[in-house]
Amino acid sequence: MITRIMASEFLKIRRKMILFLIFLGPFGVIGLQAFNFGLRYDWLTKVHKDDLWGGLIGAVSMLSIPTLLMGVTIITSMIANIEHQTNAWKQLLALPISKKKVFTGKILLTVLLLFVSCLLLAVGTIVLGLLLKFGINIPLLYLIKMCFFPFLASMPLVALQIWLAITMKNQAVPLTIGIVGAILSLYSTNFPDWVPWKWPLLINDWGKPIYSVLVGLVTGLLLFFISVIDFNRKDVK
Amino acid sequence: MSNVIIETNKLTKTFGKKNVVDNVDLKVRQGEIYGFLGPNGAGKTTTIRMLLGLARPTKGSIHIFGKDIQQEKYSILKKVGSLVEYPSYYGHLNAYENLEAVRILLDAPKSKIDEVLSIVRLTKEAKRPVRGFSLGMKQRLGIATALLGNPELLILDEPTNGLDPSGIIEIRELIKSMPKEHGITIIISSHLLSEIDQMATQVGIISQGQMIFQDSLSKLRERSKSKIKLTVNRAESAWKTLLSHGYTTELMQKNLFINNDSDDQIAKIIKLLVQNDFSIYRAEEEKKSLEEIFLDLIGLEGGL
Repeated sequence: MITRIMASEFLKIRRKMILFLIFLGPFGVIGLQAFNFGLRYDWLTKVHKDDLWGGLIGAVSMLSIPTLLMGVTIITSMIANIEHQTNAWKQLLALPISKKKVFTGKILLTVLLLFVSCLLLAVGTIVLGLLLKFGINIPLLYLIKMCFFPFLASMPLVALQIWLAITMKNQAVPLTIGIVGAILSLYSTNFPDWVPWKWPLLINDWGKPIYSVLVGLVTGLLLFFISVIDFNRKDVK
Repeated sequence: MSNVIIETNKLTKTFGKKNVVDNVDLKVRQGEIYGFLGPNGAGKTTTIRMLLGLARPTKGSIHIFGKDIQQEKYSILKKVGSLVEYPSYYGHLNAYENLEAVRILLDAPKSKIDEVLSIVRLTKEAKRPVRGFSLGMKQRLGIATALLGNPELLILDEPTNGLDPSGIIEIRELIKSMPKEHGITIIISSHLLSEIDQMATQVGIISQGQMIFQDSLSKLRERSKSKIKLTVNRAESAWKTLLSHGYTTELMQKNLFINNDSDDQIAKIIKLLVQNDFSIYRAEEEKKSLEEIFLDLIGLEGGL
């Protein structure tokens, strides 16, 4: 059943800007860093001369985390809006499919699309590093960590955004909350550890990024669970 | 023929403190076109949402195909097609893709798409984005979507709302052909009696959340209290003469109207008039139009 729901979901995002944005996000970040490194090549290679790849990956993730949070906000809102626009919910949910599965399908779609973005970011970083002649000694593990950990740590925000976007017809509210959150997270380095908007930065008192990821995954799953129940309980408008 | 398809028992939905749907007992039998009638805001759409499992009843039960909707929602919905109020569609997709998005979910055969497109006569427009469709075409697409799953029951909420006359006729013909050609039972809601009159075999009238009439259309017509209209020469003095003999009649536009209570009384009145040398030109029964009956029925509950 869930595979059929996903097939239908992928059909519905055809000819929408969604797929374009999934590509634009990572390529925008890589493009900006290409510009940055291209322009100040001598200076930046001197600064990072001990760890050229590390320097590049660090620079990429500095831009990619706020981009990711903006992306979460926009993509979830666009996915929900496909149904909101002509109130297709009443048609969709009068079909013999469980509401829980419909909602889970939306979550899965969002997570899959953002996963693709992260993957493209990793590939883009490698391509850029090779073009900048940083050698083939790529720190793959570090690269994968820096591309996927922030995404996994921001699961609660993904859950929150999709919940808001689907339950509210007026997308101004989820968009505002998402954008304010993304800006907030830029300055969240000094926030206490319990603030979810700090988690994507992978900074915590223990200095272990994996803690941010784990707490993000657990909280995210919990929020998904609550939002599915909430969606299932509510009458369709 | 008399298999009951939909049966609700004391169906109630409360918003805040108001019973939007109040103890409604709906009964639809197989092969019927059931017209569900009521003014705007009477509770039609809320009732239909509950039938489709989109809203949960506050009280009461719903049985469709003899199954309780709370317990066997999905096996019921498999055999139900629906169109609720304004058509839902994905504007950026073409008609074919719109149907495909639903077909995948229903796991219906691909050939079904062409079949329903031809039923609603949209085959030629199948590759156009639905955004550019007229309201009538969108509504037809909505009906095509409802037919995808080979339904035994079609639930249509105000399917002709906002359509122009030719669109209304198209939809009407389409709906009328369904029970004959496909053996489908249909429940269709509207706030216009004339609309229902031309399609339905049974009517249910709801007003302020309560079912105030439920029977065949001909029974509804019988309900109209007819009056006897007498056209006489000197109407006013005839009226006075009758009054002096203890018969109250209504005088309107030089016609006398008598309540059609008993044949005996009518005979006495006519005899009296003849004996008093009035010329009776016409004596005829005046029936109210269905629209008037409808307005009378819902008027009792609060007026316009």
